[in-house]
Amino acid sequence: MHNQLFPLLNAYLDGELRGPRLRDMERHLTDCETCQRELDELRRVSDLLRAAPLPAFTPADRFASNLTLLLPRRPQRSQPRRVPSPTWWLVPAGLLGLWFFLQTVSALTNFVYAADASGLLGQVAPGLNVGPTQTAWFTATSNLFGVQMSASLQSTLSLLNQFNVLGAGLVQGVFWQAGILALCIIWFLAWKISGETAPVNNL
Amino acid sequence: MALTETPKTELDLIQQAQAGDTWAFGELVRHHFSPVVNVAYRICGEMTLAEDMAQETFLRAWVNLNSFQPTGSLKNWLYRITVNATLDVLRRKSDMPMDDEVVQMIQDPTPDPETSLVQKERSENLQKLLRSLPLATRNVLVLREFGELSYQEIASVLDIPIGTVMSRLNYARTRLRDLLKEQPSMQEAYA
Repeated sequence: MHNQLFPLLNAYLDGELRGPRLRDMERHLTDCETCQRELDELRRVSDLLRAAPLPAFTPADRFASNLTLLLPRRPQRSQPRRVPSPTWWLVPAGLLGLWFFLQTVSALTNFVYAADASGLLGQVAPGLNVGPTQTAWFTATSNLFGVQMSASLQSTLSLLNQFNVLGAGLVQGVFWQAGILALCIIWFLAWKISGETAPVNNL
Repeated sequence: MALTETPKTELDLIQQAQAGDTWAFGELVRHHFSPVVNVAYRICGEMTLAEDMAQETFLRAWVNLNSFQPTGSLKNWLYRITVNATLDVLRRKSDMPMDDEVVQMIQDPTPDPETSLVQKERSENLQKLLRSLPLATRNVLVLREFGELSYQEIASVLDIPIGTVMSRLNYARTRLRDLLKEQPSMQEAYA
């Protein structure tokens, strides 16, 4: 028991022993003169060190005042670049997928329209209704004139109709792409705001 | 600061200092200067150098303050910087002679010149004995006796296992005890 407890005298002196070891040490010290003597000597060393006087350092107030004059400009907070969690990535990934899907559908539709208009499809895809898109005003005008509509008027109206369809397509395209862009911006802002409230873990 | 303002807690001061408030950092320096310079002095054994080390410690602390987690102990963090800063200097200075200024500047609590002289001599001898310990051992002893850290805190500050803290502390005190017994001028104080 003595051999086990003797190396722990410093820990006992410093109040670092707990539980059964502490009780064993206290019981042992009542019987063991060697450990008692060693403990007294260690305590005297400790007391002597703590009682050693210190030099007259610069007063803390003056030291602090002088030091604050020397403080350099602190570099910008060097946080590691934050990476959004996988859940956060789902939003922009979904928006990108949606954009890609709509672009593909739009391109394919235009391609089919163009192929049909040029007669390339022929009877290959009879189930597809790929006739020229008619706007509401074109339909109404055609119905008004009926079969009496002259060829020049008909071609002029068709041209205007195509422009209108093209214009409507462009407006729609710009509209939904702007919508996706807006959602991306909202996602980015939400991510930034959530990051500013997050605790700093970089030590 | 207006007198009507409520006293700031250390956490408030840390957060203000992290935001760049030099006044708040100055308050932290005022509070922690004494323990930091004490530890630096006990490790390096020279007053001027200890103040330089304290200054280096607080400058490093200011630059790296944003990496400090306010949930931790600022004092322990400063001790870690102090030990590292002191090690850097001691590596550069392989052997540091005891500065006479230390002896001259030792605080004298009593006006009696004879007592004062004895105390100065003892203090100088004690500091010499302390410096005769290996640096790694001295750091542990200084952080325990003058930094008043627990074994776990010392292990954390020095990045060493707690068992190493215990063995170094055992060696340091036993060695100091043996050296004190050999010193004629210290025998009276030690007895």
